[in-house]
Amino acid sequence: MPIDSALTVDLAIILLSATVVGFLAKQTGQPTIIAYIITGVIIGPVVLGIVEVSELTETMSELGLAFLLFLLGIKMRLDEVRHILLPVAKISIPQMILVALAGMGLSLAVGFTLLEAFLIGLAVMYSSTAVVIKMLNDKDEATSLHGKIDVGVLLVQDIVVVIILAVLAAGRPDDITQVATTLAVVLVLVAIITAAAIGASQSILPPIFRRIADNKEVFFLVALSWAFLFVFVSDEINLFLAPLGFEDAYLSIEMGAFLAGLSIAQLPYSKELQDRVNPLTDLFVMIFFVSVALELQAEELLYYWQEAIVVALALMPIKLAIFFLLIDWQGFSLETTFLGSINMMQISEFGIIVGVAAFQGDFIEVEVLGFLTLVALITMSLSVYFIEYNHWLFERTRPYLSRWDTDAEFEGGKREYNNHAVVIGYDEVTRQAISLLNEEYEDVVVVDRQVDHITTLEENGYNAVYGDFRSETIRKDAGLKRADLVLSSSVEPAINKALLKQAKDDATVFVEAKNKADARELYEHGAHCVIMSTQLAGDRLVDYLEGYLSDKEEFTEAIESGKDLLKGEEVFPDTYKRIRGGLDD
Amino acid sequence: MTDLLTTVAIMFIVAGPFLLFANRFSLPSVPFLIIAGLVAGQFVDDTDLILELARYGIALLVFTFGVQISLSSVRTVLVDSEIAALGQIVVVGSLGVGFGVVLGIPVEEAIYLGVAVALSSTIVGTALLQTEIRRNLVRGRLAQSIQFVQDLVGIAILLVLGAGTLAADPIATQVGYGVTLLLVAVVINRYLFEKIGRLAGDSDELLIIGVVSLLVAFIGAAELAGISIIVGAFAAGLAVRHNPTEHLGLFNGITSIRDFFVAIFFVTLGMLVTSPTVEKLILVSGLLILVAVVKPVLTTGILIYQGYEPRSATLASLSSDQVSEFALIILIEAWLLGILTNQAVFDAIIFAAAASMITSSLSRRYAEDIYQVVSSLGLYRWGNKQIDERSEMPDSLSNHVIIVGYGRQGPKLASACRRLDQPYVVIENDPGHREDVVADNEAYVYGDAMEPYTWEKAQADSAQLIISTVNSDPISERLLGFDFDADLILRSDEVEKANRLLDSGALYVTISDMLASEQLIKQLRALIDGKMTREELKENQQAELELD
Repeated sequence: MPIDSALTVDLAIILLSATVVGFLAKQTGQPTIIAYIITGVIIGPVVLGIVEVSELTETMSELGLAFLLFLLGIKMRLDEVRHILLPVAKISIPQMILVALAGMGLSLAVGFTLLEAFLIGLAVMYSSTAVVIKMLNDKDEATSLHGKIDVGVLLVQDIVVVIILAVLAAGRPDDITQVATTLAVVLVLVAIITAAAIGASQSILPPIFRRIADNKEVFFLVALSWAFLFVFVSDEINLFLAPLGFEDAYLSIEMGAFLAGLSIAQLPYSKELQDRVNPLTDLFVMIFFVSVALELQAEELLYYWQEAIVVALALMPIKLAIFFLLIDWQGFSLETTFLGSINMMQISEFGIIVGVAAFQGDFIEVEVLGFLTLVALITMSLSVYFIEYNHWLFERTRPYLSRWDTDAEFEGGKREYNNHAVVIGYDEVTRQAISLLNEEYEDVVVVDRQVDHITTLEENGYNAVYGDFRSETIRKDAGLKRADLVLSSSVEPAINKALLKQAKDDATVFVEAKNKADARELYEHGAHCVIMSTQLAGDRLVDYLEGYLSDKEEFTEAIESGKDLLKGEEVFPDTYKRIRGGLDD
Repeated sequence: MTDLLTTVAIMFIVAGPFLLFANRFSLPSVPFLIIAGLVAGQFVDDTDLILELARYGIALLVFTFGVQISLSSVRTVLVDSEIAALGQIVVVGSLGVGFGVVLGIPVEEAIYLGVAVALSSTIVGTALLQTEIRRNLVRGRLAQSIQFVQDLVGIAILLVLGAGTLAADPIATQVGYGVTLLLVAVVINRYLFEKIGRLAGDSDELLIIGVVSLLVAFIGAAELAGISIIVGAFAAGLAVRHNPTEHLGLFNGITSIRDFFVAIFFVTLGMLVTSPTVEKLILVSGLLILVAVVKPVLTTGILIYQGYEPRSATLASLSSDQVSEFALIILIEAWLLGILTNQAVFDAIIFAAAASMITSSLSRRYAEDIYQVVSSLGLYRWGNKQIDERSEMPDSLSNHVIIVGYGRQGPKLASACRRLDQPYVVIENDPGHREDVVADNEAYVYGDAMEPYTWEKAQADSAQLIISTVNSDPISERLLGFDFDADLILRSDEVEKANRLLDSGALYVTISDMLASEQLIKQLRALIDGKMTREELKENQQAELELD
């Protein structure tokens, strides 16, 4: 089998140049997305022309979008978003119609034909899933109320894109009934797959994931397998429908990936998965953003450059205004309304995809596609800054927006702990201490990696977080930075040092260590008490031995009380109340 | 969706159920990924592009090995068990090559059979031994270091493999390039890496992408220089070697990316295999016998000869009875470079690897029984003489205390006995503690606590108390099974087990964590009641640490 042993040069160039530009952007405070898009422009045919899209890079950028949506799905717990479903529907549908009309009007005004303008209108009505979700993730706002509204609207838009792509893929329709049938088929498919995903999350997934949750590697790979199953079914939907006599159905792989994630999100083990999927997503999404600008020649991209700038600059404030009025109409607070709409000003990568489909379906010329791409690039790049500084902008403009400052009907956001106790690891060392802390603190948050421990804790009314404390998300969830007391029964110096670094200055920190060297280091890093169980146990054992050899009575008494504790059925024993001294006092 | 993505999707979809199966029966996942590849291969024709993804898996495997390598652990291992590991590699390797030659395979291809049987898997081997390693038992440490030496040998073979064959330049130049690359890596690690880390600031994303770029750059440099990309990947690993606490996010991120590509690598391996023939079956069974029988027997022999007692030697050897993932990497590199063209050899090694990883987890499960059977055949009898030679016992003792294990708790107990003028005997089998045992104590037995002869030697029948400081269920159960007259204090790490041991007749069972817990509560209470400030607590604790 003769195989070229060289790995693809293109991929290497993309990675290296994106890294260089990325680091430059970081130093100057620009968002990484901008760095990646610019990288694509520089190394692509527009400037240097040293890289072309290959199957490998295309695969990776598809994977990037799929993982991005999968990741998003994992974050969506239905019981947390259920209450905004109706407002989201009421916002997204009129929004798309209004933006499409505005886009169409603008295009007519700058001189496109009616058909072109109509298709441009269809292409500009979505906001960018990739940009918005990436930015929300980076800013940790995906689960805030405005984040949820945006995500909800983006998903509705996704469904609409899928439908429009399906219609365009069929080529110029013969009549209106054909359009209607395609529409119906897509809607039914989306409904079926959603039902399958939610059904699975309530039937087959819990037992499967419960079994594998303790094995990190298998857990991760099986979750990916589940995601790929949905991606594959969505992509090859025609394969499955052919026996039923349907053709030309179309579902996006993003939709499949999202639904796969959504079904896992309903399980208690999804938190850690986020941290596992995140790095892969970052890597592949980077390739996606770089390759956006790789597709087009300079002359195609720049043919309508003046029109593109005019439309882009006009469309952004129009989108902002439409979103603002619609979200406000649904009774959200001024801040949520402002943040929710400023995030959504850009034109989506789906606009380009719709453009490609329209071009292939022979509806538009390649230059119009170039125009759409340019508009998307301009609006995406600009909007990134608006999202980056959304809170700052809100503070600045708030005085002028007072007439929209209504009483909010919706409240949201996840629960935040304050001045609480965080316990890492539920085991023999911490078990009794947890009950003691529970008396002293309003909230005791216990982090553990074993499913049955989490169940036990939750059944006994504790705040339990499932996951590995190594991961940033888990530390955030436990509110480490705001905790008053931290007790770690992990003997891994890496975990303990990480928590010592992040805990606030006046927090009391207990950690465990395996040996003296580790213990010394942990004290240096600021621990107040380092527990060394083998050391302590050794001293204790000597006490027992001495008792056995010199004072049998005391010895017998001590082991009897020890046995009581061993035999005790209590999960959270109150024996801590009895512990004052030891064998020796 | 691109064809490549469709293929990747199929690979993962097929792998899912196999992984669930493996997990259900506590078997290692690697062989089941390979088997999934066999199945997925039925749906996929074109493997060229997939191979490219798979090679990223290889690069990332070698890369992370480079990242995690610690120079100090290399040094410790080199004094501990290198003879066992190297001797085993040479002898078993030669047997593998010989076996191939006998079947008429040319020597230059039979070498790969040798490599396959000689190296054992770190992923599978040490994963199976996690508990033993954590409890710092002799066999865990032994197995870990044997496998570590094998990994180093594996890397060395890979480096040489690239150098010898892409020969546009003389080999000396090739090696020169390789060494230069490694030096560049060390320089980057020392002077540049921390700077990159600082530039990335708090952004894990940038750091991860930066590190992946570095990997790709090193691979590119290796390709330009005409040496194996494995050298490049290994060098890149050395370049970003760091203290995992510094960049926790980076470490986790790289692990995710690696797991993704490595899964693709193993599934791809399975996809490359063609249907079985008689020749392959013979090859596979030969390899399996060498790996699963000859190798552990030989390693046991060498270890016993080196002075380890039979049980630890046997159990450690039993964890090396599988084919290494490094052997598979070497195999596929040779295949891609066109040095190995014999499909039968290729397939046989992959089959043998998958099969041996499964048999290995079984032999691990029944290791204790295997040892008992071999022991009852009297094969270790000459070991008794060794116990006699290495122990120190007065002719007759009575009412003495027997202390099992001389790690952290053992010495404390022994000194307490001396203080109370209580005669005692120490039982220990770890060569690492031998020096202390001999220096501190008048009476000791150097043997395994599982062996009746050890207890005969320690005169257990006339002892009054036996304290075990070893946290091992088989040992605790064995001690209860001996039915000594003496009282038994055992050690465990779980309440349930401790209760079982109490019910079966132990006088008491200590659990380190529970003792520590009592101490912890005392301290928490003092803080809460305001009897002590955090600063006072810290001072006390630190003082106590230095006293001990």
